[in-house]
Amino acid sequence: MVLTTVVGNYPRIGDAFEEQRLRRAIAKFEEEKVTETELREVERSVVREVVADQISAGIALPTDGEVTWYDSQSHFARHLDGVEVNGLVRYFDTNTYYRQPVVKGSIAWRGPALVDEWRFASSVAPASLKAVVTGPYTLASLSKADGRPRREVVREFASAVAQEVRALREAGADHIQVDEPAITRAQKDVGLLREGLETVAAEKGSAWLCVFTFFGDVAGILGDLAALPIDNLGLDLVQGDRTWKALKEDGSDIPLTLGLVDARNTRRDDPRALAKAALALKGNVPLEESYVSPSNGLEFLPRAKAREKLGLVAETAKLLEAGL
Amino acid sequence: MSLLTTSVGSFPKPPYLAKARTQHSKGEIPDEALHALEERATTEWIRFQEDLGIDILVDGEQYRGDMATYFAENLGGCEVSGLVRSYGNRYYKKPLVVGELERPGPITVAWWTWAQGITERPLKGMLTGPYTMMDWSFNEHYPSREDLTLAFANVLHQEARDLERAGARVIQIDEPALSARTDELELVTKALGVVTRGLTAKTITHTCYGNYDAVYPFFNKLPVDQLDLEMSNSGLDLLERFRREPLKKEIAFGVIDVHSHVVESEDVVRDRIERALEIFSPEKLFIDPDCGLKTRTVQEAEAKLRVMVAATRAVKEERGLR
Repeated sequence: MVLTTVVGNYPRIGDAFEEQRLRRAIAKFEEEKVTETELREVERSVVREVVADQISAGIALPTDGEVTWYDSQSHFARHLDGVEVNGLVRYFDTNTYYRQPVVKGSIAWRGPALVDEWRFASSVAPASLKAVVTGPYTLASLSKADGRPRREVVREFASAVAQEVRALREAGADHIQVDEPAITRAQKDVGLLREGLETVAAEKGSAWLCVFTFFGDVAGILGDLAALPIDNLGLDLVQGDRTWKALKEDGSDIPLTLGLVDARNTRRDDPRALAKAALALKGNVPLEESYVSPSNGLEFLPRAKAREKLGLVAETAKLLEAGL
Repeated sequence: MSLLTTSVGSFPKPPYLAKARTQHSKGEIPDEALHALEERATTEWIRFQEDLGIDILVDGEQYRGDMATYFAENLGGCEVSGLVRSYGNRYYKKPLVVGELERPGPITVAWWTWAQGITERPLKGMLTGPYTMMDWSFNEHYPSREDLTLAFANVLHQEARDLERAGARVIQIDEPALSARTDELELVTKALGVVTRGLTAKTITHTCYGNYDAVYPFFNKLPVDQLDLEMSNSGLDLLERFRREPLKKEIAFGVIDVHSHVVESEDVVRDRIERALEIFSPEKLFIDPDCGLKTRTVQEAEAKLRVMVAATRAVKEERGLR
């Protein structure tokens, strides 16, 4: 059965006044007008809302929307020893920014960074809720680590991510995704990526592990990625539309998360066209065990549009299922 | 003339203007009342810059919301989206292109003319560049990113010509998205060339917070007279590259981190200027903050600009520069 999921983040605020309560709470927290406990309560109410949005749209495997994340890199990195968080850097071509991790010494995992957040979000979801962790190759690529050999930095981040994956799994997370967008910009580094992800996968136990690449194609390394010791490979098939050709030619033995719905543009996708394109992979890809998703996190869209895209994901999956 | 001081574009809106903008968006005050307060805030910022002794002024963009959306609001074929996150707890609305772009009339010229009319010092004309407009827009109309970029370039060229006709001698075309996709740098260059074609005014491109390493080989190709770069946020990392591969243009060198609440000490800023002077001649080196200061409070922005000017003066005195 073709399932549905999302890639991770989701708009934390919307355009309605009530949908902006987290923005107001953070501003008041910064002015010391609300306590941390009060801020966390607002955050949790937004997580409930974000999970509910996904469930009501028909998403089978939701996430917490990364509602509590300052950004995709520093949220995890700031919990690590040997890493400081520095100035703002543009995050790929998204016109958003992240605080750049700066490696100052040996990187070491201090303790769970994401477990409490996952545990709460999971408690308000009707079934499995996917935990999302930033991948070691991307952490190393977007960090500053002057003078340190790249491989060493990837290894140390990988060890930290692996321990986080183990902690998530021990807390009960049975679906875990590792995000590796940076590999779409440097496919020649696939060996480094593989080394890091093998370390992470060694700690997955019985949990389902997906590696998601987005913001570009992976046409040149599709075979390498499909050979990783993982359960699912996530692909951005919009910005990375060159991957289509590789999929048709080389196929994939492992199930995929097909990032079909454009998460970077407000233009309404045509679910029939998307399902038809995916059906062309029949025979080359285990579609029955694969997921349909947006092409990347939905945070780059206004919330009303993100909600619409969730519906389009569900509609596309239904059409694909019918075609099978 | 050497080590001229300037600013990148935006300044924070004083609380009375921020409040009025909120009231205006709810229909509680009329256009004229908001406009009067925008003029008051612009006047205050121009007087502040004059009193401080800044050489090349900006109007502070007190009448603009977001730098891309402001143009979208004034172009045919464009609408404005709902809110999306920029970073942390900051959100903005993006242009939404739904049809053929057209410029019904000048967008920035009336404000530039009015603001230049209240100061003797040169005032920059400020445009958001075509590649950035494209990259920061949702595109529901044009078939490709290139088509949309060049459509923006054409309307921005019309605007630049009108600014020049109105008397602007310095026109800045902001391209913060310049390094978004390094495989599109030829497109950035081509589109900037469309905007600056035939202009006699000094042209500047500002960019910031990007992957400068990848972009560096294009710096000398950009069809503008001056590059305005964020340097402090990235720890002056580019200086060594400039040493190895000299820049053939003027540079405006960011010596103030605009994303920090902390006001730098004069010593820190002096050190940044001194380090820049190891590479650039004082005649080609302009001193400014990393980026627009609109995300700071008025007090923080003023304090940061005071330090910038004091540090520049101290360096000039010590070196006997005029």
